[in-house]
Amino acid sequence: MSMSSDPMILLWTLAKILVIAVPLIIAVAMYVWWERKVIGWMHVRMGPNKIGPFGLLQAFADVTKLLIKEIIIPTNANRFLYFTAPLLAVIPALAVWAIIPFDNGAVLSNANAGVLFLLAMTSLGVYGIILAGWASNSRYALLGAMRSAAQMISYEICMGMALVCVLILAGSLNFTAIVEAQAGGKGLFDWFWLPLLPMFFVYYISGVAETNRLPFDVAEGESEIVAGFHVEYSGSAFALFFLAEYANMILLSFLAPILFLGGWLSPFQGWHLGWFSQPGWWWLFLKFFIFATSLIWLRATFPRYRYDQIMRLGWKVFIPISIAWIFVAGLFKYFNVVTIGH
Amino acid sequence: MNHAILQMVCFIAFAVVAVGAALAVVSVKNTVHAVLALVLTFFSAACLWMLAEAEFLALALVVVYVGAVMVLFLFVVMMLDIDLEPMREGFIKYLPIGIGAAVIMLLEMLGIIGIKTLQVPAGPNPAGMSNIEWLGTALFTHFLLPFEIAALILTVGLVAAVVLALRVRTFSRRQNPAAQSAVRAAGRVRMVKMAASTTAPGPTTVGEDSQA
Amino acid sequence: MLAGYWPILLFLIVAGGIGVALIVIGWIAGPRRPSAEKYSPYECGFEAFEGARMKFDVRYYLIAILFILFDLEIAFLFPWATVFSKIGIVALVEMFMFLLLLVVGYIYIWKKGALEWD
Repeated sequence: MSMSSDPMILLWTLAKILVIAVPLIIAVAMYVWWERKVIGWMHVRMGPNKIGPFGLLQAFADVTKLLIKEIIIPTNANRFLYFTAPLLAVIPALAVWAIIPFDNGAVLSNANAGVLFLLAMTSLGVYGIILAGWASNSRYALLGAMRSAAQMISYEICMGMALVCVLILAGSLNFTAIVEAQAGGKGLFDWFWLPLLPMFFVYYISGVAETNRLPFDVAEGESEIVAGFHVEYSGSAFALFFLAEYANMILLSFLAPILFLGGWLSPFQGWHLGWFSQPGWWWLFLKFFIFATSLIWLRATFPRYRYDQIMRLGWKVFIPISIAWIFVAGLFKYFNVVTIGH
Repeated sequence: MNHAILQMVCFIAFAVVAVGAALAVVSVKNTVHAVLALVLTFFSAACLWMLAEAEFLALALVVVYVGAVMVLFLFVVMMLDIDLEPMREGFIKYLPIGIGAAVIMLLEMLGIIGIKTLQVPAGPNPAGMSNIEWLGTALFTHFLLPFEIAALILTVGLVAAVVLALRVRTFSRRQNPAAQSAVRAAGRVRMVKMAASTTAPGPTTVGEDSQA
Repeated sequence: MLAGYWPILLFLIVAGGIGVALIVIGWIAGPRRPSAEKYSPYECGFEAFEGARMKFDVRYYLIAILFILFDLEIAFLFPWATVFSKIGIVALVEMFMFLLLLVVGYIYIWKKGALEWD
């Protein structure tokens, strides 16, 4: 990467940003379609199948519909904050993709402190939710926002600690370096999921809780507070919250493989299986697809947790495990139990 | 447009936003707006630090202050239902005191910077080391004691938070998950041995007989 | 070092642009037919009988305070995690002491019941 001082480089960077952002938005639409389809199959239904082949264009029809709906501003709502909130939700959700590598070298910004930037962007996401709840001047929205905010910050602690465990082993805050640290001759047993097995689960479950997905979606809780923080939102303002939520789910499905499952490394690395042992972006996308589908599976399978159970899981189960595993990971690293890199 | 000019432009832009937002914090009527202005101030300050190549500090400022401290502020301001008008009355009265304090702080900071520039040559980043590595090395070799004191302060903070903010309710229904998981069928259900079939009492048999 | 952060700044601006554009498109493309009922806060068909602003349980603040403290702890752990293998046993022991102090605090808040929700 170079400075954006030269206009050509500026344009080139802009083009790269669009190459990430536009497919991301399309991926969100496809992900929504895939979610409805998978849940449909799990319920022994067809899922969307009318618009386009296999209903593929359903999500785009939905987006168009959302865009031409009226944006309702409730009376007594704080108009300025009412429109700032969805922006604050969507900006970090998109900007965090600047540091996600898709292959060795295929990254917009190879900043040193990638993991720290990730943490910074995740911690910003909570503002959109609190402000949406407060600005719409509605009881349900406020209740949902408070629950959601407390839940998100609780699980951010466990997420941060899981990241710390990865850093201890990798010795770097850079995502590309973290993936390369998982390279080796033992195939998938060189990846970090093995030495950090409990943290892998802690990270994944915290990620689900952080994105307010089922079974942790008390923030929405359709059956009690109807839709939580965005109950008063409609039209394109609602679409932004939707975009942010699904972009964050896709992010989680990329980060779990990058941090724990070797990113673009092949699960057969070092086993001399020819093409199968070669690293490549297709491995990362395959892993992403599995994780993204698992999030849908969770939604179709589990009933909603109660709020006290969620808080208990975060504070009384995950935090002790995380603290203990920081000790363990430190010892692993000190005594060179885990081989790092080639 | 070369690199130095771009940096200068960014510096001025962030600095103007930071100062403007800081002024908004003390002047806007709506307290939630004030908190958000403070968030913007912190964020611009983080960008300024980033321009000064203090990578870790800049991101830590966002993570800790914007992501955690300001969330608490927002919780408090939003939920306490503060009546806004009386808060404004003292504004003019306390303005001179506030300006006085600000001027003293400014002089102090300028003094420190002045002394520092006389003594230490600038440029904290040794070549070939990222900002975080440099900071970590310094923290864990030269500043051992302050680091452990920081841990102590954090622990005291935990205790203080509980002492100040914890209100245990006298009447509350709470689950004990350990007890719930420990439940066995034997403790809940009494299995009674019964014969699989018993001869039904008179009338039914009579009815069936008549049908047949 | 700054080279890695210009694209991020640019991405933040582009993301903001995308968000604003979507809202503006929705604002222009969508109809606006005001009615008092439609614009009243949603309350499952009831008349909203009180303002929405309400006082919340103090434990939300407690959670937020505890979060700050743990977040700070993580901020300390980050530089440690990246360098400790180069410094060696001193850094390891030091961080264990740091964490042990926090575990003491954690046990205290647990025993006091600060982590209970009813």
